[in-house]
Amino acid sequence: MSVSVELNHVTRTYRMGDETLHALDDVSLTITPGEFIAITGPSGSGKSTLANIIGGLDMPDSGSVTVDGLNLAQAHDRQLSAYRNQAIGFVFQSFNLQPNATALENVMLPLTLARMHAGPRRARAKECLEAVGLGERLRHRPTELSGGQRQRVAIARALANKPSIIIADEPTGNLDSERGGEIMKVLKRLNADGITLIIITHDLTVAAMADRILHIKDGRLTERTK
Amino acid sequence: MRAIDLITTALRNLQRQKLRSILTIFAVVIGATSVTIMLALVTGAKGFFISQFSANGTLQQVAVSSKTDLTKFNDNSGGGNSCDSCVKLSDDLVNKIKALPHVTGVARRLSAGAFEAIIYNGTPKLSLNQIVGYDANGILTNTMLVGRDISSNDTTGVVTVTSDYADKWGFKGHYGDLIGQPVQLLSRTWYQGVGAVITPPSNQPGDHNGPRAGTSTTLTATVVGVSDATSQSASVRAPLAWVRQMNEQQMYQQTDADRQAQQAECQGSHGPCNPQPHFTLVVTDMLATNGYDALTAKAATPANAAAVAASIRKLGVGAADAESFIQAQLQIFNIISLVLGGIGGIALAVAAIGVVNTMVMAILERTREIGVMRACGATRATIRRLFTIEAGLLGCLGGVVGVAAGYGLTYVANILINRQLLAGSVQAKNIIGLPLWLIAAVIGATTIIGMLAGLYPAFRAARLNPVEALRYE
Repeated sequence: MSVSVELNHVTRTYRMGDETLHALDDVSLTITPGEFIAITGPSGSGKSTLANIIGGLDMPDSGSVTVDGLNLAQAHDRQLSAYRNQAIGFVFQSFNLQPNATALENVMLPLTLARMHAGPRRARAKECLEAVGLGERLRHRPTELSGGQRQRVAIARALANKPSIIIADEPTGNLDSERGGEIMKVLKRLNADGITLIIITHDLTVAAMADRILHIKDGRLTERTK
Repeated sequence: MRAIDLITTALRNLQRQKLRSILTIFAVVIGATSVTIMLALVTGAKGFFISQFSANGTLQQVAVSSKTDLTKFNDNSGGGNSCDSCVKLSDDLVNKIKALPHVTGVARRLSAGAFEAIIYNGTPKLSLNQIVGYDANGILTNTMLVGRDISSNDTTGVVTVTSDYADKWGFKGHYGDLIGQPVQLLSRTWYQGVGAVITPPSNQPGDHNGPRAGTSTTLTATVVGVSDATSQSASVRAPLAWVRQMNEQQMYQQTDADRQAQQAECQGSHGPCNPQPHFTLVVTDMLATNGYDALTAKAATPANAAAVAASIRKLGVGAADAESFIQAQLQIFNIISLVLGGIGGIALAVAAIGVVNTMVMAILERTREIGVMRACGATRATIRRLFTIEAGLLGCLGGVVGVAAGYGLTYVANILINRQLLAGSVQAKNIIGLPLWLIAAVIGATTIIGMLAGLYPAFRAARLNPVEALRYE
């Protein structure tokens, strides 16, 4: 599935006591299928809010977010959940794996939520772990894996339901440069296979790999051409 | 998420916090055990009573007494000459009752209270309250252990005794040897019934016309059967006709013929005449004066018993069916069930609070995990179901263990009760039942209590903002 994402005049504000924080301020953006986009900006600038709104985890206060004809701003919980399950794969800085579950069980989570039967579910999870080079680590728990391996399990989980978009929030943030480089290689390969890749990063080397770099400051989006 | 995946995930989540889950389940176990025992005891006891009553036809019986305010089914104290204004339980009344709709028969009951002891083969005399006789028409029966009950062919000279007499005479374990043996029924000194030796009055002033003080009468009877002492068997039962004779009053009276004979002695005498007084031994059947002690009418079906009792009351006598008696007998079980039910209810309420606490703690610990699940496509409903099922499983597991513990306790209780019943020669065992419906009901109830207790935490988990949940440290 290849889908384009369109944001029109998206605004998102948070109230911090008496203060109103503009996380996104009239942001408009189009992402075409198969693109590799890096979102950069200082801490608290609204990078994660933008990624969460594209990923259907957060809702804009105003404006529209249209993905393959579905306006996320007006979608119901069931539609948004299906969208996150089928079209989006999230990769987090701190991996967010279930510590007491094996690598295989972690990758099976989105497949279980998609009501897939046990046999095919196991086979697909194994396939995803093999794709990220962890075919020998299926029964290992996160505590038995290195940081780079954990992030690869997280990528395998994001891949499980064959999403069209992967949103990675600082995927190399907790890794040394060598492991970070390996992770970026995996993500680049997925992008080369046609998956839209949206990476939030402080790392300019990572950003430099993207087709487009979007910079956010105080909720305002500026595009930097490479 | 498919139901099977929800359940396996919920089970795995409970395993993650083993100690906490076990402690929470333990509280449910206490409640479930109490409730199981309570229900098993009450249903078992009710079943036992009703089966006992059904087996000997008691549910079809209507007790009739000359006491118009009779409420207790087993009150045999009414009747006799204790109530002058009462309607006598006469044969005329018996015929009227027999003519009522749904009445299939009437058993008349009479007792002889003039006997103080029963003696077997020179053994120390055993005290005897009364000798009971009633129609051998199958309405009232003894629960026989050996031998036979009094039959309609018996007239005099036979009795049945309860096993406690047989035990004291040394026949425990071989009651059959007592059958056919003679026993003596020893009367009180004022006995004037059948067999009593009444001395004719002398001419001495102040002489009474009954038996002389200090003389007892001994009637000999053959034991034809030994009945169950723990059931409602009569302690010593004799044929109704014989008991009627025991209630007769024999006394010397001066009849007209006696007076004429006395006057005839002085006929032709010119001087003072001092004739010998003439007396005749007159036997009075006291039934005409006192009536029967009690009557028992038999209704066509247990359902008719109440209606039959009502129509008998219209004849001016008291009547009660077995229902009220059973209710009174079950009163003690109702009290026990209330106490155990109260303990179970409190334990289950505490357990429910424990489930809420456990689940709220689980949400706090697993907030980030909930965020990940939401990011991976879990709907709010999925999160809500998952936590509700986890709470329901706590209740269900508590119910299963509680029912198992209840089963164990009722098993032990049955062994103890069976021993008591066997000692009392009662033909019943395992009276505390644990029917399948009860097992299903207790497990179902604890599961529902768990799920209800889990509703608040589940809604709270489902309402979590996924973005904030993912940031939660």
